[in-house]
Order: sequence, then structure tokens, then C-alpha cells
Amino acid sequence: MKLHELTALEITQKIKARQVSAEEVLDAHLRRIEAVDGLPGRLDGDSSAEPSKVHAFITLTAERARAQARAVDEKLAAGQDLGPLAGVPVTVKDIFCVEDTPSTAASKILANFNAPYTATAVERMEAAGAVILGKVNLDEFTYGSSNESSAFQPAPRNPWDTSRVPGGSSGGSAASVAAYEAPLSLGTDTAGSIRQPAAFCGVVGMKPTYGRVSRYGLIAFGSSLDCPGPLSRTVADSALMLQTIAGADPRDATAVTVPVPDYVAELEKGVRGLKIGLSPEYFQITYLDAVTGKLETQPVPDVMKNAVLDAAQRLAAMGAEIVENVPMPHTRYGIPAYFVISRVEAASNLHRFDGVKYGYRAQAGITDLRSMYRRTRAEAFGPQPKLRILMGMYVSAAQYSEQYYNRALRVRSLLRRDFDEAFAKVDLLLTPTTPTSAFPIGGLYGDSVLMQYADQLTVPGNHAGVPGISIPAGLDADGLPIGIQFLGPDFSEDIILRASRAYEVATESESWRQAKPALAE
Amino acid sequence: MDYEVVIGLETHIQLNTQTKIFCACKADSWNDAPNTNICPVCTGMPGVLPVLNRTVVEKGVLLAVAMNADTPPVSYFDRKNYFYPDLPKGFQISQFDCSLAKGGWLDLPMPATDKDPAYVRRVRIHKLHIEEDAGKTKNESVGGYSRRLIDFNRCGVPLVEMVTEPDLRSADEAAQYLTRLRQLLRWIGVSEADMEKAHLRCDANVSIRPVGADYLNTKTEIKNVNSIEAVRAAITKEVERQKAEYAAGRKIESWTLEWDEDSQSLKKMRSKETEADYRYFREPDLLPVYLSDAWKAEILAGFPELPLARRARFISAYGLPEYDADILTGERSLSDYFEQAIAAYGGDPKRASNWLLNDVMRLLNESGLTAGELKLTPAYLAKIIKLVDDGIINTNTGKSLLEKVNRSGQSPDEIVETEGLAKVSDDSALRAVAESIVAENPKEVESYKSGKVGLMGWFVGQLMRQMGGKADAPKARAIFEELLQ
Repeated sequence: MKLHELTALEITQKIKARQVSAEEVLDAHLRRIEAVDGLPGRLDGDSSAEPSKVHAFITLTAERARAQARAVDEKLAAGQDLGPLAGVPVTVKDIFCVEDTPSTAASKILANFNAPYTATAVERMEAAGAVILGKVNLDEFTYGSSNESSAFQPAPRNPWDTSRVPGGSSGGSAASVAAYEAPLSLGTDTAGSIRQPAAFCGVVGMKPTYGRVSRYGLIAFGSSLDCPGPLSRTVADSALMLQTIAGADPRDATAVTVPVPDYVAELEKGVRGLKIGLSPEYFQITYLDAVTGKLETQPVPDVMKNAVLDAAQRLAAMGAEIVENVPMPHTRYGIPAYFVISRVEAASNLHRFDGVKYGYRAQAGITDLRSMYRRTRAEAFGPQPKLRILMGMYVSAAQYSEQYYNRALRVRSLLRRDFDEAFAKVDLLLTPTTPTSAFPIGGLYGDSVLMQYADQLTVPGNHAGVPGISIPAGLDADGLPIGIQFLGPDFSEDIILRASRAYEVATESESWRQAKPALAE
Repeated sequence: MDYEVVIGLETHIQLNTQTKIFCACKADSWNDAPNTNICPVCTGMPGVLPVLNRTVVEKGVLLAVAMNADTPPVSYFDRKNYFYPDLPKGFQISQFDCSLAKGGWLDLPMPATDKDPAYVRRVRIHKLHIEEDAGKTKNESVGGYSRRLIDFNRCGVPLVEMVTEPDLRSADEAAQYLTRLRQLLRWIGVSEADMEKAHLRCDANVSIRPVGADYLNTKTEIKNVNSIEAVRAAITKEVERQKAEYAAGRKIESWTLEWDEDSQSLKKMRSKETEADYRYFREPDLLPVYLSDAWKAEILAGFPELPLARRARFISAYGLPEYDADILTGERSLSDYFEQAIAAYGGDPKRASNWLLNDVMRLLNESGLTAGELKLTPAYLAKIIKLVDDGIINTNTGKSLLEKVNRSGQSPDEIVETEGLAKVSDDSALRAVAESIVAENPKEVESYKSGKVGLMGWFVGQLMRQMGGKADAPKARAIFEELLQ
């Protein structure tokens, strides 16, 4: 087994057993990155450069990582206790601040910003012995589902087929894990931004309960929706990482004080007695036809539906009770409500990027304060932030907020009620993660409404604040990964992880489990 | 035409917490160099989050209750969005539609004047909420270019914004409101309320209307008034201007005016065409503020009697004149001191008040201390007044004793004992001294006997000097009268 193919758990075990040093593990991953990642994303970079490479990174912090790896090795040599992530290489979505490291949000406006402090989730991983490899690419400010909107090009590509997108917005995270550049990555999920790229890249991605993981240091998109969470190749690794990053934080008032269970210890307890629900609303996509304005419904492709039904059968065989036809009547309102709520929050969250304190400031044509604001924001925000600012400003204006924003908040309560009623009957919901597998680069970019339907099955969980996971469930006819999703009630991460692990066990001998992305080294 | 003046005041009150409202930086930056009391949170770095300082809520609740406002069990923070360089997040965290307090009022006692008898003006509170302060912008010109310098020290300093209804009817009433508000803020310990240090800031909305009208005319807003006297002067000026405008047949426009302290005049800052849309929405980074009954009870434990109520009680219960009651309730420590002193004294409260207003106030002014900090405790003061009342010491000795007690912290009895300050009323001792004075001053004796009876004061004075001021003067006089017959 090659070192870079080890899971995080295996790495910690081998380091503790002194079979390998943290620095050797780091070197193996740095070599892998060198071999498959290609050019890092940079401002004004060529989007079509090196089309067979992964391009997950914006900033590789190899020196910082080496210092951390050596510290682990020295601790071990000194006989000191090692943390639960000792020596595990981790990539971090470049939406988190890490002290003295460029923290760009994949935007020109923050391209020169070195954060003066470290995000809580990163700080906790570092304290647990993790080795932070660097910052990986994303859609600008997380606004997208493909990574194509990054101001840092080339954008990440899907390791399974580099002509396709890795998904987004945590595309660099998912791609780096799928390409064996790191066993773990820290992502964020506002409407599906961990789960959808995880599904596209054939990895595990978990969106925890809102408030389970501190948002301190996460450059905000939709503050009431954003959740940091793990991406990994195995369920156990996500459990291990969540264990480390979860918990109350005195710097985040919305981080909850609910105790963090031992997710790893719970993993193998199986699904016997669990009630797992299937919902008809999650086997279809409902959308407004852009031309006719009519509400249209399309079933998800059979391959997605069959993956869910197959999983249900396997779990039933392991003792779970499958409950069909769990109604989730408001699912189709998830995206419109998300469009309004997330954009109001986003527009406000982007106010601080004004050229005054940090980041980009326009130099030419400045006549007064207003022109400095206007030019700075016009020159340094890409199309996605601009669209979101426009819409967010519009729907929160005094004369429209009742019609849009307040109405969207009421819809959000209805979505929450769907989950409350479902979880009164079942322990978990099992659904497809996405309506499609990874789409071709350039395929949907620019049509942001249609691209957002990639989130229709994931965004209700963000509205409701409930936890969800996407786990690999096979390959489609094109050899592209597909994902299935578990959703559970607040703080049911332990149960979700258990069920996910059970499915992993049940499919252990399937041939797709052995498949790996074929990347030229 | 006779006009009625209509004034509403908008005040910003800096709460005297240790730390800022949403981070651990210290709240007060007075005299600190610019941008030295800041952190990622209060400078709005990407990714930071606010965490509410509970003391801010507690002080806000104290003020709300003192202003007779209701405090709903749940309130929310909202974002007020606008761009300005000294607002680092591009929004201010404030409260909008569900704030910490609802309603409220303050009754202002307006003193009698030559024209009018005393009356009470009730001022209703339109809104009261907590919010964070912004930074300070300094404009300067360098080489023909103007530039802005931003100091973020003040960002995140906790404020209460309190706005009155347009219930004030004169510049004097506006000044009285601020005087009483400042007194109240210090009394309940929520703010230092120093206007010069911008702990208490005031904008005044001013309009006039014909007497008897019930509509509101267009108002102007006066900003940058940094003292109570400035508020009075600025409003007076603006009322004159508005009267002149109407008299000339012109209209009042909705201007924002700035008070220039140096020239004592108002300058137009801008015209207010439209109301800004701040696109308020709930602050998603903060939880609702749940003010439970238990928490509220904890906050209000030991809530004091308020100054105006105490003032009224001093008048009714102790029979003090308004003047005395006003001064004695000007500051909480002094009024507590007074009550403790009269409890220990047991005599006429007015007599104790005289001692306080004349002598104790002088000690306070000289030392800069509050009454509660004096070494001259209320019990010692009471003892000194009793010593004088009982004829043990005379009034002058009493006054110097006051200072000795305050310097040393020793009890008055001890000092009287060790320094032998007690009045000499022993007949034989007085007689011996008086006889020697008569013997040594034959000329004065002669004059007296020949009819210059005014010399009696001189004889008593001689005796007092020789006896170190401790003699019982009426007794000494009687002895001299006998010797000089």
C-alpha cells in the first residue's frame, strides 16, 4: 500500500506504532500533489492549462506542513501523547482563515489577504496533530456548484474525468481527497457544497448540524446556513475529523454546547432497528421552466434512484426497517427560499470588502470615496458575487422584504416542519445526493439558476439545519461516481455515520469499491 | 404669530462596561493612540463573529427600567447595512423592530421662573435599544488632497440609543432632559455620561408650530452638540432662525445642521432628501436575547431609588427646600451620605443639610472624591454636629474638626479628647484669665467704664485668643460684665 493511499485512521495508527514517520507521510502526499495536481490556481491564470491535472490547490504551504509533521515526530520521539489526527495531512478550503497564510475565498478582492488569525476548525485540527497541506480552490466566495467561478484558474477538475467539474463549492476539497492528495479536507456546506462535490468525486462528505462546528474564521456566505464539515474517502475518517472539529466555541455564539459523542466508537454498531425513510419528493426534481414559466417535474435518473433503492435493500438486510413514502411536501421550495435568504445574507456579508482595510483597492480613476468603493468592487468581484449582491440588495429593500425575504423565512419554517414530521416517524432519510453525476466543464456555467438545481436535494437540510452526508454509491455508465445521502434530525451525526458505515460494509466486495481515478502521474 | 417649540432628542449613551459589546477589547479607549485597542472581531476581518457581552444587556435593562420602559422577554439583533469607512463590517449590529425595551418616560421637574410657576414635563421614549459604536473618521488635507484617517478603537463600544418623542417644548426643557438623564445614568451606574468624552451624545430634532396646532412641521436635525449648554444654545438659535424663516414667508427645509462651538452658530451639513434604506434583517450570527424572569430579577437586585423620587421624598419627608433636595440628590453617593448622616444625627434634617451643603460639599470639591469615599463618614459628621448642638465645642471648632477628621480618619471624640478642644465653661478658669486681662489693660478698662461699651467684644476676643478659641463665649462675656462694673 502506498503511503498516500492510507486513510487518516491508518496514518495515525502507523505513526503511533512507529511504522512510519509523519514527515514520510507528508513527503508521500507532497509527491502525489506534485505528480497529479499541476499548476495551482492563480489570478488571471489560464483556465484550460494542463487539462489532465487536478488543480485542487491555490496555496500549498509545504514548509508550514513540514514544521507540523516534524513536531509530531518529535513529540512521538519524546514519548509525548499524540493527538487524534497526529501526522494526518489535511487540505483546507480557501474560505477559512489560517494565520499568516493567504486566505483568498478564490476572489480577486482577497487575493492579497493574509489572515491575522486561524479559524477554530483549523486550529482544532492543528492542535490534534494534523498537518495542514494548504488551501484548496472553490467557487468564488463559495458561490457555485462547479468551481468554475473561481478567480483562481485553472479551477479544480474532477479526478475521475478531468474534462468534468469536481462539483462545488468545496470542489478543491473533494478533488484533493479523491485524487489521494490528502485523506481529509475541511469544506463548507451552505446548500450542498460539501455533499454535492463529494458525490461528484466519489468521496464521503458530511454537513453537520448547524452549530455543531464553529464558523469562526469561515468567511461567511449565508451565515444562517453555512456549516463547516469533513470530506474523506472513508466514513471512519469523516467521523474522526468531525470528532476533532465539533463542539462549542466561545468565539461563535451559534456553536452549540451539546456534548460531542465519540463518533468513531459508535461506527460499527450497525443499523439494526433503525427506521430509514424514503421520500417520493427526493426522487424528482421540480423546477420552473425558464421559457414557459411553468412548474415542471422530472424524475431523477434511474441510476440515482436505483442506487438509493439498492442501499435501502442492503440496509434492510442488515436489520433496518425501510419506511416508504415519507412526505416532504415543501422540498421544491428549498431552492427559491435559498435564493432569497442566502443572497440577503451574502450581500450583507460582502459589505466589508470595500477596499478600505484589506484586500484589493482600485487605483485608477478614484475621485472620491464613492468612486473608490464602486471601482474596487466592480474590478475585484466576479460575476457570481455581483449577481448575489444585486439580488440580495433587491429582496431585502424595505419595499420588497415582506414579499421576498420574510416570505422566504416562512417557507424555511415549513421546510423545517417537513423534517420534524418525518423524523417523528423515521430515524433517517435516505435519498440521492444529486440529480446528476459530474457535468462537463463549461456545460452549465453562466446559467446559475439551472446549476442551482444540483442543490435541490441537499439545500432543504441547510434550511432546516439538520445534518446530512453523501457517501459513494457506485459509478454510472460513464464511470462517474454517484452519491447517496442520509439526512437525520439535529445532532444525529453518530447515527448517520453508523448507517453510512453499515452501507460501506455491505458494499465492501463490490467491484466499484476497488475503482480509483485514473490520473496520469 | 406665537409659536410653540417642538423638540425630540436622540441620545447615544456609551455604557461603562469593561469590554466591548462583541469582543474582548477594552471598551474605553480615551487617550489611547489610534488603532491600538482593536482585534479581528471589531475591525471586521473576514470570517469573524460577534459574541454578545452579557453586561451590555444588563446595563441596558437597568436603564430601561429606570426609564419606566417595558423589557420584553425576547429581543433580537439586526444588521443595519450601509457603507462608511469607519464601519468596518459595512453594517452596524443594532436592534430594529424587537429591541430590548418598549415605551418608557421621564418626568422632568421644571423649576419656577419669573414668568412661569414650576411644572413637570413628561417626556415619552420612542425607542431604546443596544448597538455597537462605529469608529472615528478624521478628515485632513495633505498637499491639496483630502484624505480620511480612520481610528477603529471605538468600533464595538457598547451604546444605548435612546430617542424621545417630540415632547420637549423649549431649549430649557431639552437641557433639563439631558441634565436629568446624565444624573440618572451615573446614579444607576451604567455610563460615565461625560458629554465631553462623548459618553453621552445628543442630536436634537427641532421644529416650531403655531400655538394650539396639533400637527408637526418640517424639522431640522442638529448634530455635534457636545455639552448641555451647547444643546440649549443651538436649539435657541435654531428656533430663532425658524421663526424668522416663517416670518419671511419661507419654508423650513429638512436640513441636517451642525453646531459650531467656536462661533456659536449652526452650519448646514446636508439636505435630507430621502430616508436611507438600511435593509435591516436579523443578525444571523447572534442568538435572540432571552431575558428570563430570573435573569431580570438578578439584574434588578438592589435597584436603587431613583434621583427624582428621592428628591421628592427629601422634600416631603424631611421638609427640605427644593434647592437643598436638588443638590443632595444630584449624585447618588451624596444622597446616600445625607440619609446615613441624618439617621445617625437624629436632629433637624435641615441642620444636617446646611452642614453638608456648606462644609462637606467644599471637602468634596477640593478632593474630587465622592461622598462615600470621604474619611469623614456620615456617622462622624453627625457626631460633630451633635458636639456643637450640645455646646461641647463651638461652631468654629466644629468646622475645623470636620477637616481634621477627614484628614486623619480619627473619630471626632478622639480628636476632641487628645487635642483638648472641648469648650471651657469652668467658671474659675475663665475668671482667672479674665481677671489678668482686666489687670493688664487699664486703658481699655478706663475707656469701657467711661461708656465705650463696644469694647466688650475686644475683651472677649482677648480671652478667646488666650484660651485657644475653646472658651464658652456667653459665659466669658458675663464674667467681664461683672468685673468691669
